[in-house]
Amino acid sequence: MIKKVLIYTMIAVFFSSCTVLKEYDKVNINDPDMTLQDKKCDRNVITMHSYREAAVGANGGKTGGGCGCN
Amino acid sequence: MNSFKFLVYCTAFLVYVTGYAQQNQDTSKSYKKRILETTEVDFLTSYYSQEGDNAAVSGGLGSEELTDFTGTIIVSVPLNDDDVLTIDAGVSAYTSASSSNVDPFDGGQSADPFVASSGASSSDVWTNLTGSYSHSSDDRNTIVSGKLSISSEYDYFSFGFGGGLSKLFNEKNTEVSINANVYLDTWTSIYPTELRPFTSGANGLENGFFSNKTITGNTNYNPSFENFEDETRNSYSLGFGFSQILSKNLQGSLALDFVQQEGLLSTPFQRVYFADVADSFIENFQLADAIEHLPDTRFKVAAGGRLNWYVSETFVLRTYYRYYFDDWGINSHTASVELPIKLSDKFTVYPSYRYYQQSKADYFYKFEEALSTETYYTSDYDLSKYSANQFGMGVSYTDIFTKMHIWKLGLKSIDLKFYQYDRDTTFSSRIITAGFKFVMD
Repeated sequence: MIKKVLIYTMIAVFFSSCTVLKEYDKVNINDPDMTLQDKKCDRNVITMHSYREAAVGANGGKTGGGCGCN
Repeated sequence: MNSFKFLVYCTAFLVYVTGYAQQNQDTSKSYKKRILETTEVDFLTSYYSQEGDNAAVSGGLGSEELTDFTGTIIVSVPLNDDDVLTIDAGVSAYTSASSSNVDPFDGGQSADPFVASSGASSSDVWTNLTGSYSHSSDDRNTIVSGKLSISSEYDYFSFGFGGGLSKLFNEKNTEVSINANVYLDTWTSIYPTELRPFTSGANGLENGFFSNKTITGNTNYNPSFENFEDETRNSYSLGFGFSQILSKNLQGSLALDFVQQEGLLSTPFQRVYFADVADSFIENFQLADAIEHLPDTRFKVAAGGRLNWYVSETFVLRTYYRYYFDDWGINSHTASVELPIKLSDKFTVYPSYRYYQQSKADYFYKFEEALSTETYYTSDYDLSKYSANQFGMGVSYTDIFTKMHIWKLGLKSIDLKFYQYDRDTTFSSRIITAGFKFVMD
């Protein structure tokens, strides 16, 4: 139930607030810490997770292949 | 030594390509804004260590001690205004008490699952080379990319290729993407040393391996063992992405990944002990009843989302959630939060927390719980039910003017991070990572 509420809330937020910002309005969005991916120096941490945990994917990391893990 | 040569060759190649690209830049007649202004070079390194009492190599009971040192160089070269070539070369060297016990009878000391052996399997080196290429359209609303990769370690080789397409809409406020990757991997199977005399056609207990060893417990040792015939492992992934700017201070993304794996998905040197088979020992080491057997297909689905909030000039809040499930019966939740705090225009600190939990695979059994009548079984605790907490702290230094130089490379940023990871079992690990980013003058 909680999962469904979270999913519907996220979808509603995404599709109800498609603001169109001009480039000059994106100063804060373009901050390096606002990027929608992990920093390069975290790559080996994500690799460690893919070795030790069953779950992979949906995080920009590898989803299989390249080593004996997963 | 081979790894060192590998890195030297890669670096030489990258310097050559960089020089070629710089020449091309000088003759460019286009005035479009470049995708990448100049060549960027990243050096990444990390040191990782772990310990625990549930080693899969010794059937779920034994030392999991492992250390790993990794070095990577990533060079991104602007070939022209629209195209970027990225070369990524890395080496990872590990030592492991767990994998050393593929052969625990090296004669150095009494065989024991909690004592590291000094055999060849106690360490290995993994090398990787990936080349990727991206092209952006003139209006910068379409990005096409492709990549090739190879990686190798003593018992594993991988060849991969893939591509992606991204489209931006709404004045670059919305982005949708699709990517696909294929990995064609091959094992060189290494089996627990006491099982090798029981390969089809071999002479079992009459083998010389047992001639100078005393078996205790069940002296009529007769394990269930056959070599794997298929040593390939193929992985096919398809991913979809969607990102949206929600306000001047808020943006988020959704990702959905599907992965199909086929082939040898078992790890050939991981032992299993059956509850309905009498135990045999040499010294303090229990002899394997079998190696793990897992299905030859696996289908995985992962759905994740990120939401980043620019709270103020000092604080940014980064959040992430992922739900994962596969057809081996595992489902998991991952949630993380990071709070970058800008201390000055040069220094930012990165406190973070990550929570992870998973259910067990249908085929997981604890030490001596599996029955020999089962078709599939493993005692790899990475496929068990557990939860884990990870705490992290990092610091970054950024100099947008790149005043500090090494040769023609100006230092743009340094990142240092430390993470402590603890399961609700005996397993824990820690990793320290460092990243150095340079831009070419």
